[in-house]
Amino acid sequence: MSIIREHTQATLSDAWRTINIDALQEDSSVNFDTSTLRTPLPDVSEAEVRQLTSQVRQLLRGGDAEGALRGCLESPVYATEGTPEGAREAALQTVVEVLQSIKASDMTPMLQRIYASPGGSECLDVLMKYLYKGMAATSSSGGSAPRTPTRMTPQQTGFSQIGPRPGASSESTGAAMSVLLSWHEKVVEVAGLGCIGRVMTDWRRV
Amino acid sequence: MSQSLRPYLQAVRSSLTAALCLSNFASQTAERHNVPEVEARTSPEVLLTPLTIARNENERVLIEPSINSIRISIKIKQADEIEHILVHKFTRFLTQRAESFFILRRKPIKGYDISFLITNFHTEEMLKHKLVDFIIQFMEEVDKEISEMKLFLNARARFVAESFLTPFD
Repeated sequence: MSIIREHTQATLSDAWRTINIDALQEDSSVNFDTSTLRTPLPDVSEAEVRQLTSQVRQLLRGGDAEGALRGCLESPVYATEGTPEGAREAALQTVVEVLQSIKASDMTPMLQRIYASPGGSECLDVLMKYLYKGMAATSSSGGSAPRTPTRMTPQQTGFSQIGPRPGASSESTGAAMSVLLSWHEKVVEVAGLGCIGRVMTDWRRV
Repeated sequence: MSQSLRPYLQAVRSSLTAALCLSNFASQTAERHNVPEVEARTSPEVLLTPLTIARNENERVLIEPSINSIRISIKIKQADEIEHILVHKFTRFLTQRAESFFILRRKPIKGYDISFLITNFHTEEMLKHKLVDFIIQFMEEVDKEISEMKLFLNARARFVAESFLTPFD
């Protein structure tokens, strides 16, 4: 009987069910130290990224798109403890800018040249990482924006075919995305599926 | 097929083919258990970098690979409220019958409309390229299905409104 009497409101609630007891145990697999898998990488400050960006822009203006692309890919900004989020975003922006400035007909020959040169395989792996990051970043930032206006006009829904073509506002992001998608296709053609595999398994994330 | 849909599906196809490289991996937490690591998340070292493929902000695919399972989440295009309702009904219809689809997840993950979970047991008994084809075909068909349903719905609404209003003519 004494056991039953000891129940209070706190012990009767089922909040304790959600506690992950494995996490409290030190040698549990949940607490595996992933830092052993990471390669120690130097921190990059925003000033360094700005410097790199200006160099890349200069190359682009000079018409050396390949040099600009190589420049971004040879010094990627990886996620480390000391690297600010802004630096990584800026690096991504630079890569996307370079990719958008290259003509579709130049893609495959340029990628083949980069792939054949020493260290080219790593360059294309980094490019693949940036392509996936670019697609993830643009889709999450503009995700909620276009949904709100459609919700505000419920009277239109039945006749939406007559109204302005939906998705017209997202034309610019759609165009940016299709550039990344066509680059993705070309990189897979040149470097193969192993390139995607290395993006997934590499702990150095851009 | 539309111009921008082809590279999108091609990117999904190559990413899926690369990600579907699964092996048997028993749980490290519970003895004699074998759970999809991407769901259990009990071992951080076997979870790989998630990949996002997006066509625009309304259409994207998230692939979360791990050692013995991958989770594919699809956000289906929803241009307006009607399509939003239709997609919801359609995915609900499918997920309620998840048992007969084997790889379908009962609940989509947050921010997506439908999720698939492929484990190493699925790849052992089914052909990998057929699994990839199934996902791609699903993505192709679902857009068509939704726009077809929308047309039917509008035609029906028009007919109903007409016959309802005839007595007052």
